[in-house]
Amino acid sequence: MKTMDLSLLWPLFALQGLLAVIGLISLARARSVRGPKWVWAIIILLGNLLGSLAYFTIGRKE
Amino acid sequence: MRNTWIFYRKEMLEMLRGYKLLWIPVVFMILGIMQPISAYYMPEILKMSGDVPPGLLESYTLPGAAEVMAKSLGQYGVIGLLVLALSAMNSFAGEREGGTAELVLARPLTPLAAASAKWLAQLTLLVLSLGLGAAGAGYYITLLIGPLPWSAAVSASALYGLWLMCAVSLTLLFSACLRAPAAAFLSLAAAGGLALLHTLLPRPLRWSPAALPKLSAEALLRQEYTSYAWVFPVLSGIALIVLCFLGASLLFDRNKLPRF
Repeated sequence: MKTMDLSLLWPLFALQGLLAVIGLISLARARSVRGPKWVWAIIILLGNLLGSLAYFTIGRKE
Repeated sequence: MRNTWIFYRKEMLEMLRGYKLLWIPVVFMILGIMQPISAYYMPEILKMSGDVPPGLLESYTLPGAAEVMAKSLGQYGVIGLLVLALSAMNSFAGEREGGTAELVLARPLTPLAAASAKWLAQLTLLVLSLGLGAAGAGYYITLLIGPLPWSAAVSASALYGLWLMCAVSLTLLFSACLRAPAAAFLSLAAAGGLALLHTLLPRPLRWSPAALPKLSAEALLRQEYTSYAWVFPVLSGIALIVLCFLGASLLFDRNKLPRF
């Protein structure tokens, strides 16, 4: 059995983290979003890729 | 020409301020990297997910490098397409609803120059995202699975990129005459319809741009360059993009005012 090698996986986690950080910065600086901001913050933090995707595609107002 | 360049820079600035130039490439990279990693660790993932029938883990064979690359590109056909369409839907529509279209189209910027700037901006975003995503996938595949035929991988990515650009062009076309959500929905429906028609009638429609994803996978799996099956899909794809471009510049000129 292969063990999950962290040196292989960290770029994936780093990219996910980067996406969440971009999402949170955008959320903090947005004047208004669809729905309450704190809900989107939770979705971005807990929702991984899909959470951030949902925020950027649905939550953000242009 | 100069006007196009200035308008292109404004488009890119807008994409950066809207964080699109950041989050879309990151999403494409995550999607690209995820495929080889999950193929490599599939037995471990299955084991962690609970009860597995005993013979299953032993019978798992690691798919080949080209096959995983084709699957990585296939990821962009669903989530990638959705992301690109949703990000392009505001391109013209936002200009119109925000009231800047009238200002933009006051002289000396022609609708054609505005449309070409918008197309170039979307193309930049697509090339950046797909390039980074495919490079990430290729890197992980060579690391975990085995040597990847690079020239085949590059041509497969280019074929896939052309299909994605067709879908983005449809979004831009609809964005020039409809509200943003309707534009995204219609273009996704149109791209889905083209793909469905191609799967239903593969032989009579082998020239359709919807054949591009399949050709992209074939470029990797068979690595044959002798057949010229890609010529007509590529030409029809480019024709579709040009038609959308001309249509959008015409429609944008006619639909300058916001809809109520």
